[in-house]
Amino acid sequence: MNNEADNIEQQKLIGVLGQFDDSHTLMHACEALRDSGVKKMDAYTPYPVHGIEKAIGIPRTILPWIVLAVASGGLCIGLGMQWYTNATEQLLPFWSGYEFRISGKPMFSLPANIPVTFEVIVLSSAFAAFLGMLVLNGLPRLANPLHRIPRFKRVTNDKFFLMVDADDDQFNLDQLKNNFSDWGASDVEDVFLDQTDWKLPAFLKTVAVLLLVLMLVPPALVFRARGMTYTGTRLHVVPDMDWQVKFKTQTEGPLANNDTKTEFFFKDIRAQFAPLPGTVSRSDQSGDVEFFKGIQQGSDLHSSHGTPAVLASNQENEPQEEQPATTDAAVDEPNWVTKIPSQVKVDKDTVLRGQRQYDIYCAVCHGYSGEGNGLANNRAVALSVSGEASWTEAKSLYDPTVIDQPVGRIYDTITNGRSTMGPYATRIKPEDRWAIVLYVKALQKTRKDAVTAEADKPADASDDKN
Amino acid sequence: MAHIRKAEITSPIVTLGGESTSRVLPVLLVVAVACIGAAFFFGGAFKDTGRAAFMHSYLVSYMFFLSITLGCIFFVMIQHLTKAGWSVTVRRVAEIMGCAIFPMAILFIPILLSVLGGDTSLYTWVKEPADGAPEWAVGDQRIFDIKSTFLNPTWFGIRAVVYFTIWTFIAFRLYTWSVKQDETGDKKISLKSQAYCAPLMLGFVLSLAFAAFDWEMSLAPMWFSTMFPVYIFAGCVLSSLATILLVCLLLQKTGRITDEITIEHYHDLAKLCFAFIFFWGYIAFSQFMLIWYANIPEETFWYRFRFEGGWILFSLVLLFGHLFIPFLGMMARTVRRNKTYLLFAAIFLLAMHWVDHYWIVMPQLNASVYEGYFSSGEPITKTEYVQYPGFIDLLLFVGMGALFVASFCLVSGNRALVPLKDPRLHEALNYDNP
Amino acid sequence: MAITVDNLTNNTFEDPSRRAPLITGGLDNDGVTEVVADLAESPSPPKIWWVLLGVSAALTAMLGSLILLLIFKGVGVWGNNNPVYWGWPIVNFVFWVGIGHAGTLISAILFLFRQHWRTSINRAAEAMTIFAVICAGMFPGIHIGRVWVFYWLFPIPSEHLAMWPNFRSPLLWDVFAVSTYFTVSLLFWYMGMVPDLATFRDRSTSKIKKFMYGLFSLGWSGSARHWHRYEVAYTILAALATPLVLSVHTIVSFDFAVSIIPGWHTTIFPPYFVAGAIFSGFAMVVTLLVPMRALFNLKHVITVRHIENMNKIIMVTGMMVGLAYTIEFFIAWYSSNPFELFAFQNRAFGPFWWAYLAMFTCNVFIPQLFWFKKIRTSMIMSVIVGIGVNIGMWFERFVIVMTLNRGFLPSSWSYFRPTWVDIGMFVGSFGLFMFLFLLFCRFLPVIAISEVKGTLAFQKHMALAGGYSDEPDH
Repeated sequence: MNNEADNIEQQKLIGVLGQFDDSHTLMHACEALRDSGVKKMDAYTPYPVHGIEKAIGIPRTILPWIVLAVASGGLCIGLGMQWYTNATEQLLPFWSGYEFRISGKPMFSLPANIPVTFEVIVLSSAFAAFLGMLVLNGLPRLANPLHRIPRFKRVTNDKFFLMVDADDDQFNLDQLKNNFSDWGASDVEDVFLDQTDWKLPAFLKTVAVLLLVLMLVPPALVFRARGMTYTGTRLHVVPDMDWQVKFKTQTEGPLANNDTKTEFFFKDIRAQFAPLPGTVSRSDQSGDVEFFKGIQQGSDLHSSHGTPAVLASNQENEPQEEQPATTDAAVDEPNWVTKIPSQVKVDKDTVLRGQRQYDIYCAVCHGYSGEGNGLANNRAVALSVSGEASWTEAKSLYDPTVIDQPVGRIYDTITNGRSTMGPYATRIKPEDRWAIVLYVKALQKTRKDAVTAEADKPADASDDKN
Repeated sequence: MAHIRKAEITSPIVTLGGESTSRVLPVLLVVAVACIGAAFFFGGAFKDTGRAAFMHSYLVSYMFFLSITLGCIFFVMIQHLTKAGWSVTVRRVAEIMGCAIFPMAILFIPILLSVLGGDTSLYTWVKEPADGAPEWAVGDQRIFDIKSTFLNPTWFGIRAVVYFTIWTFIAFRLYTWSVKQDETGDKKISLKSQAYCAPLMLGFVLSLAFAAFDWEMSLAPMWFSTMFPVYIFAGCVLSSLATILLVCLLLQKTGRITDEITIEHYHDLAKLCFAFIFFWGYIAFSQFMLIWYANIPEETFWYRFRFEGGWILFSLVLLFGHLFIPFLGMMARTVRRNKTYLLFAAIFLLAMHWVDHYWIVMPQLNASVYEGYFSSGEPITKTEYVQYPGFIDLLLFVGMGALFVASFCLVSGNRALVPLKDPRLHEALNYDNP
Repeated sequence: MAITVDNLTNNTFEDPSRRAPLITGGLDNDGVTEVVADLAESPSPPKIWWVLLGVSAALTAMLGSLILLLIFKGVGVWGNNNPVYWGWPIVNFVFWVGIGHAGTLISAILFLFRQHWRTSINRAAEAMTIFAVICAGMFPGIHIGRVWVFYWLFPIPSEHLAMWPNFRSPLLWDVFAVSTYFTVSLLFWYMGMVPDLATFRDRSTSKIKKFMYGLFSLGWSGSARHWHRYEVAYTILAALATPLVLSVHTIVSFDFAVSIIPGWHTTIFPPYFVAGAIFSGFAMVVTLLVPMRALFNLKHVITVRHIENMNKIIMVTGMMVGLAYTIEFFIAWYSSNPFELFAFQNRAFGPFWWAYLAMFTCNVFIPQLFWFKKIRTSMIMSVIVGIGVNIGMWFERFVIVMTLNRGFLPSSWSYFRPTWVDIGMFVGSFGLFMFLFLLFCRFLPVIAISEVKGTLAFQKHMALAGGYSDEPDH
């Protein structure tokens, strides 16, 4: 007996262990035992011995089916998670999804969702395989009576063992010991279960109770906090850029005295105030309305289409009416200038500059020839025909409605945009905008048939050109 | 301890047998000539109107059998390179099927002649216009200048000759050496095969890649995908594995080589099939997803052809039949060790492989009509432009198949269907899957 | 009773009728245990271990401080700028993740192909994978800018963010792929170690070691029933890890390939990246194992044959990478897309031609040396080629990312320069890798002891069948 326990009554015989020095003798022993009807036995080897499952009679494990079941669950979770978070909104009263509209992809983009789904399947299956194996094996099992046998330490090195359980039907201690020696076992031992192993040390109960009590403290604190109002400063864990050392527009300006916090440094207590008298703006566009907005001096400053223009107050203006050139709401339009403003030199250089700028900014929709056959426009029209986009076709510059427009109106279109055409004010300087207007008129002049009878009237801007 | 088998052939019948071959062979040849000939005549190969459909059908069946042949050549090479022991007894079957490259070279002649003769029914780039850029190069001279350097009949022909030379050399070289080893058992032959396969593999892979470009990618001359050769390669390997499985099962059913090919070999072949089903799916998905994601029209049109106008049916059949169903079906160990099931699985995989090549080739038949619709922006209504497989496809398939089988009989002749004295024979007979 | 397998030391002979012995020096089960356990059980590791530990600890400390610098000062400490917004961090990330793939390939794919020679190297290779993935995951983790809200990368409900991750983005696929890869590799590595930790448990003398090894070996007893389920689980994990290896570097390649940038958007990227990853990974395994086997007395378990087999894989994957280069060039020309062609010409002849030259030389030309048996069985040459391949593969990713320097807008073209923080972090990551690997060598079983014993048994079995011999080749 190699067991360390003193108290014999605490030890229960649970089996007999035979030691073998190589796998062949072990296998013969296993087969012999199996053939004699022994069921509750197990072999212990340093490495998996080929063919030992059959020798002992171990059935195939159900682990693969467990993994398959979990993998199917992983598939549903992976796809479901992506569908819920990226393709739905407000489906549940909490944790709403957030529909991402990204580069025109469908909300539920199945091809794009495959990689994550695959990874989720693999991850869940791997856990299932590993944990399933541990659970089915009953591991961790740190208190195995076999580990108390010193010889057994060689099992992880180079010795092979075979144990027959005492509660097997065919168990006969002496017969088994004889058989083991016949089969070439180098040693046979009784295996005892020391039942003192299973008694918990007394202090553990105290520790467990103490831990349980301690575990109640955090929830208690939480419930206490929920029933109270907190008057301290709010915890702001992630400062980000929430407190910036700068002045925002509609706030107070700098203080004169940080102690009193009542006096301000400037007379004007605003953080942002109007420019001081005498300030000269670098690009003051308020002065010359004709140049900067294309509207005649004295007429209304509202230049955008769609907003009602107040004209009535100014009677000195030449009444300059025309039909609204576009199909938007028929509103009163401001008085557009009909001549290129005097700041712009109407000469060949300006026309060429206008051509250059036109080719850069306008040709992409209106076409290099001005017919409205630009690449972007063609594509957008195709998309809008198939319903994938909404688009108003870029006008041909030879369209009668455009021919009739005064130059100020054309200038305004460039500045502020029209319909699906965006505003170019920020991208093209006013001088260049007028150059483009000049170029547009030059283009229009190249098509005699597109020019209406009005083109030859002296009042038209074409008189201004060389 | 597990029983050790000796390294010797114990099956009663090891060859195809002279008498049965001499009876079957003429029948096969007659069937082949009759079917292919009938297809030529009834498929409209000699008329201008039906020729395009016929040529596309021809290419589909041709690529099907060629991919099996090339896959078998690859199988043999990789077994030599990896010094594999398990596959020794199934390798001879693959070697014999690899030698079908010779009849495949002959079957290529109609395609070659049509290209050299300036016929545009299959490849639109064949005819060079008198001046300016042709329609297939979207009227762009610069594109035409570049593409026509590669896509022109002369170089197409030269490249085809190079490919077939390489493939025939590899297939017959390895087979003749293997057969020689049947008599002498010379270990040096194994070493020589292994040494030759290393550089030959380079040539094989390059020629396969460019053949894929030449014969299937250039059907849509404006389209390109660097993954395409890998996609074709995956199909080659999968179909050849399925064919090796099928042929071994059928041979054993007729009582031949019953002892040398064990359930372990079928298990391994099935495992490899499973792996390459997944690999094919991975390659097909990667190619599709990248093109879908970037959404660049110069690439997506190829897939739009195959998802609209009724072709979506074939795409779904491929997705489910070529990937999902076989993947789930071949996962279980019990399935992989059941011969009846494997017989069914091999046939199913081969059917799906044919659908794969049909899906690659056929939509190009009506490509010019699709293109008109794309620029108009109207969606293509269902089933307008789909071309379902018909009688001509069946004729061509049966005809080429008969020729393939005839090649097997002819090449194998009276020689053994397993290597008799391969130095690694004992490994093939003595391993098992746990 | 010793089970002698073989007494010779050179097992690289070529004889088709028998397999070369994989464990030499006459080692039996006990011998294998002794050889492997010696490293962890010796009272003090070899001096070189201490030296290397010191150096790597210093480099790790440097890495740590540079990361703190980055978090406090911001991403501007790196060289990332217009137009090369993705600089060294992404290159380093792909570099390290690629290296990690070899471990999984050795563990999983070679297992499925029944390549018994893998048992001597798989443990160290798997450890290398874990550490490489740690180094890899660090880079995207710190480059997100606001590192303190890293949890926004995961699908956790967050009031602060009020939205979810964008699952359509390959950058998010990376998060899932690398996390899954790390976790599964860790599981696989740990599961493989359980029987060997039991071996250490049964041999350890100090109480602490007994407790630690005992705890982590989960009470393993070598029961045949347990082994059965263990082997099935191992096979399942191997079958899962195989597509995982493919998918992880595929998803990394998607970072580039889903874009519309010429030179990046090309469909062959997935298998090309995977082949490149295996290429660089095996080179790193060779670079690690050759010194390891010499310094730690493992020459009879990690034999010349093992190194030669790995060199052959390096050659094959190198040629796959070369094939991908060829196909890419060809299609870039064939596509007649002038931007695509320019991207490739710029790589070879533009401002970063020197990086391209390094890449080509190291990836395509240097591995060709392995055609010669003398070179591929030489330990020194193996290390030289291995280091060369790793340099080449770093440059490959560098060249790919530098495609950005000549974009569509010529006014943005500019030359990328790394900062000292870029370089320092990269060097520091090697320090971290070495540090972890050295700890692994000292405290954990560096070779899969139980699997090697299985290989010994298999060799014995095949010897009976006529496949192995104790006699060296004549």
